[in-house]
Amino acid sequence: MIVCVAVVGHQNNPLYIQSFTEADDALKLHHIVHCSLDVVDERVNNPKKSGLTLNETFLGLLYPTENYKVYGYLTNTKVKFILVTTDLDVRDADVRNFFRRFHAAYVDAVSNPFHVPGKRITSRTFAERVSNIVKSFGLSSAG
Amino acid sequence: MGREVSESCIDSLLTEMVASYCNQFYSNTPELAARRIEAIGYQVGHQLSERYTMDRPRFTDHLEAIKFICKDFWSELFKKQIDNLKTNHRGTFVLQDNKFRWLSRISGDPSVDNGTQDPESKAAQAMSMYLYFPCGIIRGALSNLGIPCAVSADISSLPACEYNWILRPCCFSIKYAF
Repeated sequence: MIVCVAVVGHQNNPLYIQSFTEADDALKLHHIVHCSLDVVDERVNNPKKSGLTLNETFLGLLYPTENYKVYGYLTNTKVKFILVTTDLDVRDADVRNFFRRFHAAYVDAVSNPFHVPGKRITSRTFAERVSNIVKSFGLSSAG
Repeated sequence: MGREVSESCIDSLLTEMVASYCNQFYSNTPELAARRIEAIGYQVGHQLSERYTMDRPRFTDHLEAIKFICKDFWSELFKKQIDNLKTNHRGTFVLQDNKFRWLSRISGDPSVDNGTQDPESKAAQAMSMYLYFPCGIIRGALSNLGIPCAVSADISSLPACEYNWILRPCCFSIKYAF
């Protein structure tokens, strides 16, 4: 189950953070997302050590904490998408698919002429699309 | 699932944008009009670059980003690629488009001429206002890809085809900190 998704700009400024749990641990999730930014930078600057090809957008599993798994995705415009999930057996293809759809929703949100680049994304349509993607992620990996 | 807009709408919008900014909003200060138009282009380029880099792997260096602008980005915007790319390997690139689509329907009017200014340079000045928007688009796209730069454009003049603007190559020069 996905507990949190986040969009972080190229100056590590948060553009969108949304948690999907009932519990009141939003601060802990923000902290996890913040820590994962360092891992993203490390992966991007040391491609040989992490075994990735230099120019892939999907960064894979960033690091597992005690309850959560954190996945990362870096776009061409240096915007980072972070996904925090509690699922233990998540297929790589599912996460890639999730990020692809999330990227499409992000591009549509940013193309809004009233959106100021660098500020938080306040579009309700974007929030709805993201929650739809999150819901269907849970369904596809369960089925 | 993209919706389409007719090209004549785009042409009309660009013509009207230049006309409003030059004749209405900043009629006494053409430099400010140019800066505003370029700023609009900057935001458009910023957003377009998000969309057109979506399914691509990341760029490894500046040259790849410039090649993306010349090929994919230009084809999405103008249905053709840049015809010629030159560089001095010290932070300047010159992109040459031999038949710039947004200028293809502009005619130079030799009859409007009150004799105080060379008609060639008046027409060149009028044409240059139409080039600020694409300069802004290029600058916005490159800034979003991590390359802050300055972009300028000019239309080269060939003595043979004086008022035939369609045939003149249009050069965009990109300067970034090397």
